[in-house]
Amino acid sequence: MATTPMTYSPSQGAERRQKQQQMRRMSQELDWKRSDGRSFHQCRPACLQTGATNAASGSAYAEFGATKVIVSVFGPRESKKAMMYSDIGRLNCNVSFTTFATPIRGQGSDNKEYSAMLHKALEGAVILESFPKTTVDVFALVLESGGGDLPVIISCASLALADAGIMMYDLVSSVSVSCFGKNIVIDPTAEEEACQDGSLMIACMPARNEVTQLTLTGQWSTAKTNEAMELCMDACSKLASIMRSCLKKSANLSS
Amino acid sequence: MRDLQPSLNQTQRVRLQSALRQLHSLPSSSSSSPLSSVAVADPIQVNHDDNILKGHGTLDCDGEVVATLCGVVERVNKLVYVRALRARYKPEVGDIIVGRVIEIAPKRWRLEINFSQVAVLMLSSMNLPDGIQRRRTAVDELNMRSIFEENDVICAEVRGFQHDGSLHLQARSQKYGKLERGQLLTVPAYLVKRRKQHFHHLEQYGVDLIIGCNGFIWVGEHVEAGENVGMLVEDQKKTSTAEEESWSFTPLETRKHICRIANAVRLLSALGFTLTVEAIVDTAEASLASNIEINDMLGAEFFVQTAEREVQRRASMVRKKG
Repeated sequence: MATTPMTYSPSQGAERRQKQQQMRRMSQELDWKRSDGRSFHQCRPACLQTGATNAASGSAYAEFGATKVIVSVFGPRESKKAMMYSDIGRLNCNVSFTTFATPIRGQGSDNKEYSAMLHKALEGAVILESFPKTTVDVFALVLESGGGDLPVIISCASLALADAGIMMYDLVSSVSVSCFGKNIVIDPTAEEEACQDGSLMIACMPARNEVTQLTLTGQWSTAKTNEAMELCMDACSKLASIMRSCLKKSANLSS
Repeated sequence: MRDLQPSLNQTQRVRLQSALRQLHSLPSSSSSSPLSSVAVADPIQVNHDDNILKGHGTLDCDGEVVATLCGVVERVNKLVYVRALRARYKPEVGDIIVGRVIEIAPKRWRLEINFSQVAVLMLSSMNLPDGIQRRRTAVDELNMRSIFEENDVICAEVRGFQHDGSLHLQARSQKYGKLERGQLLTVPAYLVKRRKQHFHHLEQYGVDLIIGCNGFIWVGEHVEAGENVGMLVEDQKKTSTAEEESWSFTPLETRKHICRIANAVRLLSALGFTLTVEAIVDTAEASLASNIEINDMLGAEFFVQTAEREVQRRASMVRKKG
C-alpha cells in the first residue's frame, strides 16, 4: 500500500497483520501454545440453551468460547402462494451476522454461502415428508463471530429444530478442524482460522453414524484427512450427547 | 415455563421443587406407566415380542425404535408414539377451535389456528347473519367483511381435511362465530384435552370460557346465544346511540372477572397443568378466597400455592382410588 487510507476510525489493520504473521510463524513449528490455552485436540467449552426467543416455535442459543449464535425456527407454516404444490416440506435457511459480530464493524448482512451450507447440512436430517406443502424457516443470527461459526450455527440450528418439535432422523452436530503444517487443531478460533493451511468441517448424525455435510479446503494428505475426520466424528458424538442432555433438561422443566 | 418465570425466593423455590417432585412421584391421571422423556434419535424401549405399532414421532432404525421428536413416550395398548411438548396443534374432525382471521379470500376466510397451515372457513359453511338458508350470492361475497374482518377472533368447528391436506372449518350454529369483548390466550395445544364440552358459561362470574382444542382459549363477557345475531340485524336498522353504548360497554366487575380467569389460565399453562374448566375455576376461586389481587396471581407466592394445591388434589384422587 502506497498511502495510508484516511478514514475516520483508527485503522488497526497493520497491527492485526503483524499479529497474524507472528501467529503464522509460530504455527509452523511443531509445538506451540494456543491463545486460549487449550491443547490441540480440545474443543472450546460449549454452552447450549433452548428457548432463547419467545415468538419462534423453537429456538436455541449456543456459545462456544467467543462465538455466540442465536437460531430461531418458525413453522411449519404455509408456503408462499407463488410456490408450487409439493409433497415434501421446504426448509428455508438464513444466516446473518450482527453489525458488531466481527472486529471490522458494519459488515452485518445475510451470508449467502453460510445459508446454503446450513441448508445442505440440515436437509438430510429433517424428515421433510412429515410436513407437505409447508415451510420451515430457520434464522440464524451470529451475535459474535469468534471462529468456527458454521459448525456452531449448524449444531445450534438442529437444536432449535428439535425444540420446535420438527421430526428429524437425528440431531446434527458439527465440528471443524484446522490444519497447521503437521498439526491438526480442533475447533479453531478466529485468529487461528485466519492463518490456517486448510480446514475440514463435518456435520453428522452421530446416532445413525451418517455424515450430512463435509467441507474440505486447503492442502491435505490422505492420512491426515483420515485422522482429521476421525477426530471430528468423535467430537461430534460428544457434542451430540451435550445437545441431548440440554434438550432433556428443558423437557423436564416444562413437564 | 417459558413465558412466566416468577422470581422465587429461597423458601418458595424449595417448596416448588418439593411440590414438583411429589407430582412426578404421583401417578398422573392420564397414564399409568411412568413417563419417559426422549430427545431426537433416542431409542425407545419396546418389547418386540408383542408386535407393537409405531406411531407418530417414531422411526424404525436397524430394528430399533427411535424417536424423531423430543417429547414424552406414550403407550396405548400396542401403539407407541411420542407426544411432542412444543409441537403445533394437530386437528381432528369435530374439534372446537378458536382462531384469528388473517385474510379474506374469494368466498372464504383464512384463519390462523396454530396448525402448520392456515385453516379455511368457507362462506358456504357458515350460517348467514340473517339466519336464512339460501344460496350464497355475489352480494354475500362482497359483504363478507361485515361478518368477519381481518384480526377478528372466531370460534368454529373442524369440518375435515381436503385431499390436498388443507383444513376446512364450519360454523353452522349460533354458538360459533365472532368473539368480542374478552381476551384470547394462547397455550401449548397439548394442555387442552378433548372433552364433551368446550363452551362454558361461568354463571357466578358472568363470563364465557371457550377452551379451543388448538390451545387458543377465549375468556370473554357472557353472550346469550342468538343475541349476537339480533344485534347484527339491529345494527343494520341503525339503532339509537344510547343502545349502542350499552351494547359496547362491559361493566368493570365483569372485566375484573375476565382478567382473573385469564390469569388463572396463564398460571396453569405456565405450570404445565392440563387446562380443564374445573382447574381454571378452582384456581380463580382459590385466588379469591385468599384475597389475592388479580395482578398478584402471576406472582411467586400464588404460583407455588397453585402447584401445592395440585399436589393435594392428585394425592386425594389417589387415596380415593386406593
